[in-house]
Amino acid sequence: MNSLFSGKYTWLHSINPSLKLLTIVGLFGFAINIHYLNFMLGFSCVILTLFIFGTGYSYKQLLLLSLPFLLVFLSTSSSMILFGKGETILFKWAYVQISEESLIRGIHLGFRALSFAMLGLIFALTTKPVRLFYSLMQQLKLPPKFAYSFMAAIRLIPIMVEEYQIIMNAQKIRGFEQKNNFLKRMQRIAIPLLSQSIRRAYRIAISMEAKRFQSNRKRTYYYEIGFSRNDLFFLCYFLVLLGLAYLLSIQYPLLPNTDVRSLSD
Amino acid sequence: MTSITSVKNLRLKFPGESEMLFKDMSLSINRGEKVLLLGTSGCGKSTLLQVLSGLVPQTIDIPIKFDEIQIPDQWGFVFQDPDTQFCMPYVDEELAFVLENLQVPREEMSSKICSLLKEVGLELDNIHTPIQHLSGGMKQRLAIASVLALKPDVIFLDEPTAFIDEKGTEQIWETVKRIWKDKTLIIVEHKIEKIMDFADRLIVFTPGGEILADGNTSMVFTQYKEKIKEYGIWYPGAWDEYKFKRLAENKFEYQNTLKLQDFKGYRIKEIKIWADDMEVQSGEWITIIGENGAGKSSLLLAFMQLIKTSGNYFINDLLVKKIKDISGLVYLVFQNPEYQFLTHSVYDEITYGLQNQQNIEADAKEILSSLKLTSKINQHPYHLSVGQKRRLSVATAFLQKPTVLLLDEPTFGQDSINTFRILEWIEQERQKGTIILMVTHDQHITERFATRLWKVQNGKIVADRQLNNSCKVQKEMLNELII
Amino acid sequence: MQKGLKLTDILVTIVISIAFGILYKIWGPLYYAVKPFGLHIDQLIYGMWFMAATVAFLIIRKPGVALLAEIAASSGEFLMGSEFGLEVLLYGIIQGLFAEFILFAFRYKRFDLFVISLAAFSSCAGSLIMDFYKGYIGDLSTWNLTLFIVFRIIGSILFTGLFAISIAKALEATGVTNLVRSSSKEDHEALDQ
Ligand SMILES: Nc1ncnc2c1ncn2[C@@H]1O[C@H](COP(=O)(O)OP(=O)(O)OP(=O)(O)O)[C@@H](O)[C@H]1O
Ligand SMILES: Nc1ncnc2c1ncn2[C@@H]1O[C@H](COP(=O)(O)OP(=O)(O)OP(=O)(O)O)[C@@H](O)[C@H]1O
Ligand SMILES: [Mg+2]
Ligand SMILES: [Mg+2]
Repeated sequence: MNSLFSGKYTWLHSINPSLKLLTIVGLFGFAINIHYLNFMLGFSCVILTLFIFGTGYSYKQLLLLSLPFLLVFLSTSSSMILFGKGETILFKWAYVQISEESLIRGIHLGFRALSFAMLGLIFALTTKPVRLFYSLMQQLKLPPKFAYSFMAAIRLIPIMVEEYQIIMNAQKIRGFEQKNNFLKRMQRIAIPLLSQSIRRAYRIAISMEAKRFQSNRKRTYYYEIGFSRNDLFFLCYFLVLLGLAYLLSIQYPLLPNTDVRSLSD
Repeated sequence: MTSITSVKNLRLKFPGESEMLFKDMSLSINRGEKVLLLGTSGCGKSTLLQVLSGLVPQTIDIPIKFDEIQIPDQWGFVFQDPDTQFCMPYVDEELAFVLENLQVPREEMSSKICSLLKEVGLELDNIHTPIQHLSGGMKQRLAIASVLALKPDVIFLDEPTAFIDEKGTEQIWETVKRIWKDKTLIIVEHKIEKIMDFADRLIVFTPGGEILADGNTSMVFTQYKEKIKEYGIWYPGAWDEYKFKRLAENKFEYQNTLKLQDFKGYRIKEIKIWADDMEVQSGEWITIIGENGAGKSSLLLAFMQLIKTSGNYFINDLLVKKIKDISGLVYLVFQNPEYQFLTHSVYDEITYGLQNQQNIEADAKEILSSLKLTSKINQHPYHLSVGQKRRLSVATAFLQKPTVLLLDEPTFGQDSINTFRILEWIEQERQKGTIILMVTHDQHITERFATRLWKVQNGKIVADRQLNNSCKVQKEMLNELII
Repeated sequence: MQKGLKLTDILVTIVISIAFGILYKIWGPLYYAVKPFGLHIDQLIYGMWFMAATVAFLIIRKPGVALLAEIAASSGEFLMGSEFGLEVLLYGIIQGLFAEFILFAFRYKRFDLFVISLAAFSSCAGSLIMDFYKGYIGDLSTWNLTLFIVFRIIGSILFTGLFAISIAKALEATGVTNLVRSSSKEDHEALDQ
């Protein structure tokens, strides 16, 4: 969440949130159809550059945030590397068999997961939820009752966390036995948390209607979210750099250029 | 005069209940009236406001039936709970939400927001302030500002000051009186002192949800005084007529002590509460006073070891370090009763963890009947009225028989009879030797019951006074402290 | 039943889902932590990710809730900066849609273990389709792939079916479900006496 960590305000913050979201969806669809490792590497670099220099966070923060990525990378690639199909066997032990094909495919998958994670984080770090939902209402015609429900729910997150602590405390005071099994204990926490949240949500919905909120009526907007030159720049960044990456991957491949899909056929 | 909201032969029954809450109740309120609804806790006041505003049954699905109903076109509602009235994270965004609903053009919004805030006396350096950072009183004022923006003809106020300190209460009523002089106001409130002279019509309900009296304020209070007193509804002078005589101090069943040495409580590494060396003994009843956000609740949480603490803290010469050390010795009644409910019925709630004690059933029944909860014995704790929830959470504390009893505003939202009963129960505990520490905004309680007073300001206990029962001197001292 | 979802339904659904979103966020690293060690043991807890849909549906019992819940949970997770990135949003939509199909097929009238488990199974199928396309899981050796699929199905039925039903039952006992469900005819008739 933006509130946990705060960074500088950068040009990425000023991009129209709907456009940013659609661009990322587009990139996602695009990346799924990349089947050459060299280009995948280039793609990851383009995103990495934006992640490091564009988000306005210090390197320390970024490093901390990207620690889970390592895990993502390792785990996504490992099962493919260890158990994938392939003919050029490099290593074999019991059920584990590492082939050249599965190795390449595994690394490819790892980089793909990594870029998705970074793209998602770029979005999350540079977009305020309130602006996002205002933009979705204005540009993508999201019905207000959904948009405001989301914003209200996001406001509830810190309250829910606090409530969780209070519930735990209350249970301690009442001498709640801690010996119960894991599932029971999960329920003890989940049920009061959920039921409190539902009650709270319900009361908030009532007070929203009491403030004469009606979804189907026309409304004005406190934040009017439009487009700027930065949006164009944002699109160009990807068009130009990805084009460049593609050319480079063909002209100067780091690794043999083969389609990862057809390796085993 | 023309009526602005009315209902004829209203019937309402909660699903699964055997009795109707309202049976053929009729009521009509005229334009411009300032109506105060009074009744015992649980008689249906909150529910009635929701019916008159049309929230029931449109938004809140409770079966109702009526011959006729008139719902005002333009109304506003200030709810009791300051935390569940807002849907946006920031003050300006919340007010903008209301203005958007009214299709106010964007260019006018900022200035409108500022003038609304000014009108309710919520002066902020920056209107883009997170709502979470406001104290309870400020939140309630923001709620009033958003109702003000709606330009309502009728305003429903459901105990808007239940959690607010004395000064805040006064300010809120001042605001209401100033901005809604010529509007129709329908108010539910137990703390009548500050609002009584403003109301021109009083409607009193019987505990069964029927109208006992309806008319001019002073007329109702003189003509129906006996009945009102019998039901235990607040009336002017109720405190003066209440006779409480403390028995001569005798020996306690047990002797307890609580000692503090340079005791500090932390929240997110920040010192939030700080007490120098203190000693408390059996027989003491300490009331803790202070403004909203001063740190009273944090102090109790620190005693309960629910927030991080440093320094030394002894109970009966036992050094307390963890919550385990005090389990069974210290018991805390939270400010918000809902947080404490663990079971699904009033009876289970009150006997939770005590099932194998002797006489538990008889004890539980006694306390439930004394606090007027007998008829709710099988009800779900969450389906009680606000006042009933509070009583249930306090009742649970008494059956735990702790050595130190910590109470966070145990009497908010109560009618007079239940307030007195709760206080008498506490007194009974005190006489057995239980140390009582109680947060309250009600000065009458400090004057009459407390033996000692702590005032908390910015997290520090800034005053520690012994009180005796000679009221006059004490009152002056209190007034001075509160200002 | 009135048409569409009311504001209360939507807000409650979204809040339930965001609560699950938080849970998922805590769950995510755990998932990746168990992933490299064993033979797809991680797949056993994968079913956790479809839970918001069935729990929300069991509470509110209206059309569209399952889909909305899944989308809300995944966007909550996404906005909090999930390790999975945008992928989680697309998966959410597909999984929600697949669960919704089953509930629709039974006219939103059945809330029993069978139908809920079927919805769980359907969500699971949806996620597998995505995986085939995105994760090249078709290129796993056959024994490994079978293990993968079987584990995921077991996990889905366990979490999204059984566990969701037990949560919904427990919530019913807290009385909170009465708030969001419509009152019955009998309750209205009782007013005539
Ligand atoms: N959901 C519910 N199901 C069953 N009974 C309920 C439910 N909600 C409230 N009640 C009961 O209806 C009665 C009226 O409740 P209401 O909240 O209107 O009381 P009130 O007059 O506002 O009391 P207070 O002064 O304590 O706030 C109470 O006796 C309460 O126990
Ligand atoms: N969970 C929390 N985390 C961090 N700070 C908190 C938390 N709860 C309260 N505070 C802060 O601690 C201070 C003391 O709060 P506390 O709730 O103890 O006040 P209080 O005296 O009980 O007020 P009230 O009369 O409104 O109940 C306030 O400044 C508040 O903002
Ligand atoms: Mg009430
Ligand atoms: Mg407090």
